[in-house]
Amino acid sequence: RFMTQKRMGGPGSSPPTCRSKCGVCAPCRPVHVPVQPGVSFPLEYYPEAWRCQCGTKLFMP
Amino acid sequence: LVLCPHASSLNDEGRALMAIKGSFSNVVNVLSDWGDVHNEDFCSWRGVLCDNLTLSVVSLNLSNLNLGGEISPAIGDLRNLQSLDLQGNKLSGQIPDEVGNCGSLFHLDLSFNLLYGDIPFSISKLKELEYLNLRNNQLVGPIPSTLTQIPNLKTIDLAQNQLTGEIPRLIYWNEVLQYLGLRSNFLTGTLSPDMCQLTGLWYFDVRCNNLTGTIPESIGNCTSFEILDISYNMITGEIPYNVGFLQVATLSLQGNRLTGKIPEVIGLMQALAVLDLSENQLVGPIPPILGNLTYTGKLYLHGNKLTGPIPPELGNMSKLSYLQLNDNELTGGIPPELGKLEQLFELNLANNKLEGSIPHNISYCTALNKFNVHGNHLNGTIPPGFRNLGSLTYLNLSRNNFKGKVPFELGRIVNLDTLDLSSNSFSGPIPASVGDLEHLLILNLSKNHLGGPLPAEFGNLRSIQIIDASFNNVTGTIPIELGQLQNVASLILNNNSLHGQIPEQLCNCLSLTNLNFSYNNLSGIVPLLRNFSRFPADSYVGNPLLCGNWVGSICDPYTVK
Repeated sequence: RFMTQKRMGGPGSSPPTCRSKCGVCAPCRPVHVPVQPGVSFPLEYYPEAWRCQCGTKLFMP
Repeated sequence: LVLCPHASSLNDEGRALMAIKGSFSNVVNVLSDWGDVHNEDFCSWRGVLCDNLTLSVVSLNLSNLNLGGEISPAIGDLRNLQSLDLQGNKLSGQIPDEVGNCGSLFHLDLSFNLLYGDIPFSISKLKELEYLNLRNNQLVGPIPSTLTQIPNLKTIDLAQNQLTGEIPRLIYWNEVLQYLGLRSNFLTGTLSPDMCQLTGLWYFDVRCNNLTGTIPESIGNCTSFEILDISYNMITGEIPYNVGFLQVATLSLQGNRLTGKIPEVIGLMQALAVLDLSENQLVGPIPPILGNLTYTGKLYLHGNKLTGPIPPELGNMSKLSYLQLNDNELTGGIPPELGKLEQLFELNLANNKLEGSIPHNISYCTALNKFNVHGNHLNGTIPPGFRNLGSLTYLNLSRNNFKGKVPFELGRIVNLDTLDLSSNSFSGPIPASVGDLEHLLILNLSKNHLGGPLPAEFGNLRSIQIIDASFNNVTGTIPIELGQLQNVASLILNNNSLHGQIPEQLCNCLSLTNLNFSYNNLSGIVPLLRNFSRFPADSYVGNPLLCGNWVGSICDPYTVK
């Protein structure tokens, strides 16, 4: 699984391009989704990951 | 022990299920169809799923049924069980060793129960296991290093237990593991460079443990990680340069003892959605290159020792919704460029050494919900454009050098629940429009130079819990309309120039527990009704013409009648 496009050789990262990651569905766009690690303090934010979104469906980048 | 009191034609698995039921409690309503007398077809029992051909139990799902009691060792007699889901009950006791006999098990979820004791080593006999979730129990002892003997384990979630010892290094040499959740235990030891051998892992979470040592220099090799959460441990040393090779969307390093500067290379990590370096001992400036993070929604740098200015480049972080830079040693002004952040929801700059005025551009941040600049050296006036911040619920300008009038436009920010202007140099009258803030819970105007009367419109603050206008030059009488405030718990009006009587209507404020009218020019008789009889004399001291039930009062109200 290759999440993000890495620059050749150097440090740094970019959001996924989501090119052809949503099957036939279009448009396919990268979005942040919260990952719920279970019971959390109410004021705490959830960690987030990138997914590819088309309509209401999410796909792995 | 007779587990099945009735003569039964159930086979071994049926009897095992009856034994399992026998060690549960609270089964009356939820497992009423489990019985060997009226219903011998255990494949039809609630939560039981059998293989169509062999009629052997392959799945047992009794999640969220409020079951008590324990898990019977008879679970080991369900030899073909593939999935066991008992999450969300109140099961106590230990996880029986016999669970290791369910050789076909690939899904084991015992999370959100009250299980205690060690994680049985027998789990490592489950060679088909892909999903192991034991989170939110009271398990103790170490993480069995033998978990590494399970070849296809994709998820390990042991969070929210009381596990001790080190994270077994061997666990990192698992190419199929995708999810490692160990947060909120008592794990010790250091982060091993071996963690980057987890080439299939996307979720690494050791938040809230007792881990020590430094972040491994080789951290950049963990290129499959999407979420790296090592927050709230005792990690020391600097953030290594190689962190810049990570491809993570969430980098949570907060609540450790990290020192040194924020590495500039973080500004190249455009896949970051959340960057949290807060509550460490980081020094030096905020690198302007962080402005490159145009996809980042949350930036938390609060609670460090950061110095220098807020880089105007942060205004380029167009997706930013949370910016918390509070509790540092930042200097200079608030950059007007922050006004470009159209999605900004919370801006917290409190407790720094910021100077200058609030740029009017901040009022372009129309999504702003919380704005806090408490405890700086800011001056100037409240920008009139703030009336456009219709989403604002929290506005805290306290402990600065702001001056000028409190603009009547503040009354247009109808969603405010907290308005704190205390400890500044605001002058002029208190605008009556503040009474339009019907959702206001806390109003603090204390320690300014405000004059004029208390607006009668304060009686419209139907939600208000705390009103503090102490240490000002407020004149006039206490408005009788304050008697309409059913939720007010604190009414603090001391050290002003109020005169006249304390209105009896205040006795209708049944929630009032904290009252301070001291050091004014009030006169007449303190009301004696209801909770007013309970306020101490300190609430009224310094009003020489006020009569009350205290020593030295100019009259005794009990005899006046």
